[in-house]
Amino acid sequence: MIKRTLCFGAILATLFSSSCIKDAPLSPEADIDSFIVDQDDLTGAVFIDEANSRVQLYLTQDAYENGIVPRVVAIPGATVEPANGDTLKFDQVTGAGLTSYKITSQDGKYHKTYTVSVVNIGVWAWDFENWVVQDPSKYMYPIEPDSSVIWSSGNPGIALAGVQKDPKQYPLRDTTEPYHGQYCAVLETRGGTALSSLVGIKLFAGNFFLGVFDSRYGLSNPLASTQFGQPYRGRPKRFRGYYKYQPGPIYQDKAGKQVAGATDSCSIYAVLYGGTTRLDGTNIQTSDRIIAVAKLADASAKSVYTRFDLPFIYLKDVEQQMMLAIVMSSSYKGDQYEGAIGSRLLVDSLQIIHQ
Amino acid sequence: MRNIYKLLIVLMVSSAAGNLMAQDNISTFKPFLEHRIVAGLNFGATAPMGFPNTIRAIDGYWPEFSPALGYELSVRASEKWGAAIGVKMDFKGMGTKDEVQYFHTIITVQDGSSTGTFEGLFTGKNKTIARNAYVTFPISAVFTPSNNWRFSLGGYMAWKFSANFHGNVSDGYIRNGGPTGEKVIVDEATFDFSSEVRNFDVGFQGGAERRVGKKLSVLGNLAWGVRPLFPSDFKGLDFPLYNVFLMLGVSYKI
Repeated sequence: MIKRTLCFGAILATLFSSSCIKDAPLSPEADIDSFIVDQDDLTGAVFIDEANSRVQLYLTQDAYENGIVPRVVAIPGATVEPANGDTLKFDQVTGAGLTSYKITSQDGKYHKTYTVSVVNIGVWAWDFENWVVQDPSKYMYPIEPDSSVIWSSGNPGIALAGVQKDPKQYPLRDTTEPYHGQYCAVLETRGGTALSSLVGIKLFAGNFFLGVFDSRYGLSNPLASTQFGQPYRGRPKRFRGYYKYQPGPIYQDKAGKQVAGATDSCSIYAVLYGGTTRLDGTNIQTSDRIIAVAKLADASAKSVYTRFDLPFIYLKDVEQQMMLAIVMSSSYKGDQYEGAIGSRLLVDSLQIIHQ
Repeated sequence: MRNIYKLLIVLMVSSAAGNLMAQDNISTFKPFLEHRIVAGLNFGATAPMGFPNTIRAIDGYWPEFSPALGYELSVRASEKWGAAIGVKMDFKGMGTKDEVQYFHTIITVQDGSSTGTFEGLFTGKNKTIARNAYVTFPISAVFTPSNNWRFSLGGYMAWKFSANFHGNVSDGYIRNGGPTGEKVIVDEATFDFSSEVRNFDVGFQGGAERRVGKKLSVLGNLAWGVRPLFPSDFKGLDFPLYNVFLMLGVSYKI
């Protein structure tokens, strides 16, 4: 009998002893925590694009010419090569001199190489002819002739929602129904996924904007992850382009319930605002930093390519440091997860006319 | 794995049978049957065997209300040896709060005809509630050294009739795809893996019973599952979980 008790005791002891907390694992993460550049050298805040291993810099004329000395800080435990202190020089014309940093994880098993690129929008006009597919999530985004990236969309966020890894499954992609050239952008409102409906998102409006997508807020605050605008100098006068729009058949509210009699409409606007940090989906229409707005009024169905030519309406005078955003959506209330699945907006040949 | 179950069953049956035969030469003893109603509460965990180093802290544990009620038929083949089979409705539940670091997860969701997956490395807090209910068939060799004590050792097979495995993750972040993926802040997100819980569980069980009344005994019985709770193609957690529960209760001889 005592033996039996001992036997059971031994089993229990095994259970508890094997359940002890082990030593902390070495970090497998390899990432940049911050990329610090002298504020005087910047026209816009540095953006670390973790999804695409890219550091995007927005530099002043002086910084282009003289180079910058950034301080690259890796996450705790990880190491950076090359070490800090080197001057980075950029050639404004060819884009040469771009450089990269290699981050190695604390456990030594993982590496991530960041490319530093300088974003410099010379001509504010786009035909959306060059598209690339992001790896590994397989969504598309357009690139500029110099390969820089200035346009973004909600695609990187939708990639987190368990969408099939196929460009056609995402709301923004290219298509061969252009107004001009070979390609244009198509924005299509889509139904949510099983994962997104867990967080109450039953619909993804197609969206497309000048700016960046900050994945950090992709789940916790999706509207804050769409960060609108690129550094701008001057005084924009008009926002022009071509679009075609077909609303989806059934309009639904945030809960996914059909709203009888409602028709979806698209949304196309440009916003000029002051500062060097971006406005986002929570404040792009309401911030007191807004200087001027150009907004498409007639957002109804257009079966053929239709030209728009919108004047910037100024609320206040231009400033030294500004950003300009272009924001488009295939569902007018897409930021509230309302719209019609299947709503389809095509845009091409966009242009900002300066004064 | 399947061979282990077979071996287990063969061992139990043969040891019981062996005991029956060993008693053939005692002529004064007549084998007889006993019937018992067994009722109790299960305390334990659906837990990994040894914590992986991705679990950094256990902030809380509580048993969920987990009743067990069943019937046991035993045959006393000799004065001291016998065998028992039973049928039991068994709830096995618990809750836990823990902190994890670089915890690998792949969540697969069926979306109509297509399958969506999300894979990542989570660092942050986790709360899990597991409460699964089974129809359990224990089979044991029984040793009765005296009128007051009774010991059993054997195995069990259990079929699930309701599953609950859900919880939330919070105050952390997930790296999309793996260690080098982009960081995504997780304030709070829920998960529910109930539909992934396997239908069948099997394991070892053994217990001790002390008579406290004419027909009433108190008992403890440890059931140790050897089949992981989730199938091997389930990647929500990157380590297997097993049902390990101790039932404390009473038995009443009828």
